[in-house]
Amino acid sequence: MLIACMVFGPFLCGLVSFLIGKKNENARDLFVIAVTAAELLLSFLLWREMPSLTIGGILPSGLTFTTDGFRSVYAVVTALMWAFTTTFAKEYFKEERENLNRYWFFVIVTLGATEGVMLSADLMTSFIFFEILSFTSFTWVIHEETPGAVRAGYTYLFIAVIGGLVLFMGLAMLQYAAGTLSFADLREAVLSSERPEMIFASGVCILLGFGCKAGMFPVHVWLPKAHPVAPSPASALLSGILTKVGIYGILMTSLYALTDHEQFGLIVLLLGVVTMALGALLALFSINLKRTLACSSMSQIGFILTGVGMMILNTAAESEEGAGIAMSGLMLHMTNHSLIKLTLFMAAGVVVMNLHVLTLDEIRGWGRNKPFLKLSFALGALGISGVPLFNGYISKTLLHEGIVEGIHEIHKYSGMLSVIEWVFLVSGGFTFAYMLKLFICVFVQKNKDEKRQKRYDQNPYCMNKASTAVVFGSSLLMVVLGQPFVSTRLAYRMTGFEEILHFKAFTLENLKGGLISLSIGAAVYLVIVRRVMIRKDSYVDLWPKGLDLEDLVYRPVLTEILPTAVGFIAGIFGENLVLRPLCKAGFVIVSVLTRLLESTLDALLLFLRKTVMREKKVIGAEKPHPGLLRTLATELLGASDSVASNFTFAMMMTCIGIVVILCTIIFVIF
Amino acid sequence: MSPYFLLVPILLPILGGLSLFFLKIPEEDDHRRNVLLETIVLLTSAAVWLCLLFVRHKNAEVYSFIRGFSIEFRADGLGSLFAGMVSLMWPLVMLYTFDYMRHDKGKNKFLAFYVMTYGVTVGVAFAANMTTLYAFFEMLTLVTIPLVSHYKNHDSMFAGRKYAAYTIGGSGLGFFTVVISTLYGENGNFLFGGSMRGGSVSLLLALAFAAGFFGFGAKAAVFPLHGWLPTASVAPTPVTALLHAVAVVNAGVFAVMRLVWYVFGPERLIGTPVQVVCLMAAVFTLVFAAAMALKERHFKRRLAYSTVSNLSYMLFGVMLLSPAGYEAGMLHMLFHGIIKMSLFLCAGAFMHNTGNSYIYQVNGVGKRMPVTFVFYTLGGLSLTGVPLFCGFISKWNLVMAGLSAGTPWGIAGVAALIVSAFLCAMYTLSVSVRAFFPIEGTDWYRDRADVKEASLLMLAPIAVFGIANVLLGIWPQPVVSLIHTIASGGF
Repeated sequence: MLIACMVFGPFLCGLVSFLIGKKNENARDLFVIAVTAAELLLSFLLWREMPSLTIGGILPSGLTFTTDGFRSVYAVVTALMWAFTTTFAKEYFKEERENLNRYWFFVIVTLGATEGVMLSADLMTSFIFFEILSFTSFTWVIHEETPGAVRAGYTYLFIAVIGGLVLFMGLAMLQYAAGTLSFADLREAVLSSERPEMIFASGVCILLGFGCKAGMFPVHVWLPKAHPVAPSPASALLSGILTKVGIYGILMTSLYALTDHEQFGLIVLLLGVVTMALGALLALFSINLKRTLACSSMSQIGFILTGVGMMILNTAAESEEGAGIAMSGLMLHMTNHSLIKLTLFMAAGVVVMNLHVLTLDEIRGWGRNKPFLKLSFALGALGISGVPLFNGYISKTLLHEGIVEGIHEIHKYSGMLSVIEWVFLVSGGFTFAYMLKLFICVFVQKNKDEKRQKRYDQNPYCMNKASTAVVFGSSLLMVVLGQPFVSTRLAYRMTGFEEILHFKAFTLENLKGGLISLSIGAAVYLVIVRRVMIRKDSYVDLWPKGLDLEDLVYRPVLTEILPTAVGFIAGIFGENLVLRPLCKAGFVIVSVLTRLLESTLDALLLFLRKTVMREKKVIGAEKPHPGLLRTLATELLGASDSVASNFTFAMMMTCIGIVVILCTIIFVIF
Repeated sequence: MSPYFLLVPILLPILGGLSLFFLKIPEEDDHRRNVLLETIVLLTSAAVWLCLLFVRHKNAEVYSFIRGFSIEFRADGLGSLFAGMVSLMWPLVMLYTFDYMRHDKGKNKFLAFYVMTYGVTVGVAFAANMTTLYAFFEMLTLVTIPLVSHYKNHDSMFAGRKYAAYTIGGSGLGFFTVVISTLYGENGNFLFGGSMRGGSVSLLLALAFAAGFFGFGAKAAVFPLHGWLPTASVAPTPVTALLHAVAVVNAGVFAVMRLVWYVFGPERLIGTPVQVVCLMAAVFTLVFAAAMALKERHFKRRLAYSTVSNLSYMLFGVMLLSPAGYEAGMLHMLFHGIIKMSLFLCAGAFMHNTGNSYIYQVNGVGKRMPVTFVFYTLGGLSLTGVPLFCGFISKWNLVMAGLSAGTPWGIAGVAALIVSAFLCAMYTLSVSVRAFFPIEGTDWYRDRADVKEASLLMLAPIAVFGIANVLLGIWPQPVVSLIHTIASGGF
């Protein structure tokens, strides 16, 4: 019942809010906030009760929901994010009020769908809600309806569709090979399956399908485009929760279907590492506030995927401790990243709603006299950079520990894993560098346009009290979760891995990893950002536009090359090469045959007339002799002349036919 | 009930349609004519349902030419499905047609033929042997040619000729199959599991089957005889919707199903080269047509290409020659009918209300015609195979059937299905995106207050199909189990 309320309630409330919104916008806004608050309350109840739910008889195989530690935590995180962003959005949308009814309808429906995924007990249920949220969240991206938003919207939509379909394929293969999609039975079904290759293939499909939403390389292309154009409260949700929905799917597949599949683990690990490094690089070179944050999301997703990969590899190498550590690290990092991005995107939203621009040069120096915003952003930045005492530090340390365990336990890959460890540390450093870049730019440096700086300095107002409360409140979570006492409890609840409770976060070994990362970050900031990116006192756009995978490969292939090629083949082989020649050949053959037959008949008639049926020359007779057959017809049957001539022809044809048939029979038999 | 009751739903609309030529109802007298025709159509649908309920599996022999070749009717599982589906759609689309054709010239003739087509379609569904099927198949072509060429301009005359050439030519190929199956089978009678004598397939039978597949498949627009369908989309929307997305084209698929499951028998064909050739044709068509749809800029032609693609989904399912594939094919026949009806009716409403017919002219119309385009979007999502909509159910079944065929062809087909589904999303959803989220500056309908939501008569069928689309997607079990029974020879 509780689950039904949490999942289906928002669908209903979305509709109600739409109807209310037609009458009274203010009432709708309050209603929406009330709904998210109620959802938060329900999610706390869920935390205590841990119910499960099965609805049979609908859809292909019914819907099943369940609750466990991880799910309950994520149900709360989801509801929390929605409650915070919705409260913030009330102020954010105070000026641009177009299409808000539509926006809120889809936001609330997405809340239900997201809870549906997070609480699902089988992959089919996850898939169904996943598809719903894919399409409903599309309206967030395209909300502003500017050319950029529409283009990003298309990208988002088509990546979502591809993801959905690849996932569909994966699920079908898994269903066929294992016979079930329920998490509870999947492990056994996979072990006893006769088609391990197909299960592996289905795993790859599922990885790609969910990866589309997670922002995994090479299907990340929508992410850096969609986040900057969406309204900030929506960006927070896109980045904080929707990417995690993708991760959720990958994680569940890894936990239940391909727990110890080494190849699968390697694929996840390598894609994760590429995503992590690429995202960090892109974030560093971006000079747009929200795009930097978006690329940062991509990079953090890479960290999480690396954790997933290490979990599988450690399990495959029968290193339970390594697997447990990696699992705790990745689940903790998921939670942390959700909350961090909540703060950071809301802070970015504050900038947008006041200035309506995002380029670093223009917003530079704006936050110098806004202490609450400054503090919130700083806490978020510290959290994501992995500075000790803040939340990112513990999860990143755990992820790092997972890799280190792997280096010790998995001898086959220890070389490769050592390289990955360094990539990990450097990417962590980059994280610190680009957060430093953002923070210093917005809150420390002065704008090069002095008048503008003056204007910025004169107006200390940035947001109202409610917004301050949610932005600052969310940033305090960084500190709370940064305490090992809290974090390890949370990790234990999510993973059920007991040794995590005895994890010491601040040992020299662990601090060393964090400090290496931070010092790399500081160096990168000083060298690359200060020396390369800032030229003549303004930020230079070094974003590699020409290398955009979407413009370079995806769009041309799908919209031009594929249709053209297939259409060409079909045109050539369909109408031009097959149908038309066939018709032409048919006409030619028929006309030649009839001509031949005609001339043969003429020749025959001529021959007959010259020999058997020679006309007797009767002097004075005006009527020519009618000929043998015609005479027969007219005299014996009493037919009229025209009938008789037709009859003649028919007789002639019959004779020829009989002759042909006889010839054939002779030819065939002898 | 006497088996000859089967003749009622076949003859009633044919005679009713013919009567319109003699009754001399003036063109302007919409009311009398519409009431008359709607009554005929409703009575026919009622008669179809009476047949489905009370005269199943009884033969009604009408006329026998020579031994073996006879006109005979019978309502069995597959035929009942087809007839039932058509009978639910016709009355609804009639309503839409009345409104759509309100300002057209020559609508008496149009509506007369339109109603006659209903009877012929039911005849196809209830045919009990190859001869009858063939006869009604040809009649279906003849009776719909005037509908395709209704506008009498250059394009539609050309479309009519092309349509005639392709489908009559196809039926010509099919005639070979009719003769062979009548001679070598139980007089061409339809028996579940095949009526051919002998265990294996000889070259002659293989050729006959291939001729039947491509010949009858011409109506199902299978490559290389697909060209007529996109061309024929110049016809008025009621024709492109009901006839060229459901009745006529599904008659083609229906004939192939009859050939496979009721004449030749799947066991005889499975694993033979002829299966591979037919599967190949279907798989190729379903990707190719989807790609062509994406390139197409004309709204209805795009949907017509999409129909070509989806018909091949069904043929793919059937040609897997497994019960699962057959079931999935039938399911897709039904569900695609529902979806495509709603898509075409929405497209028609758009064209009718705005006078535009190209995709780029859709920009922003969603704000003027929200209900129409919401239903269009639901249809598009469904056709793509998004869960909660009925297209997902049939696609899921098709994919499962393709995988469980266990052959490389099955897997290749599944991959093609996914690619085609993706293209399908691009060509249907891009229209929705344009309609609801116009790029700034291309919002053509911002100041056009004359563009209004479709009228109630048009909206009612759209809504019914749209809601059926969602309901069957969420609660498909009854339909799926019914079709499962049919696919295993019951019902």
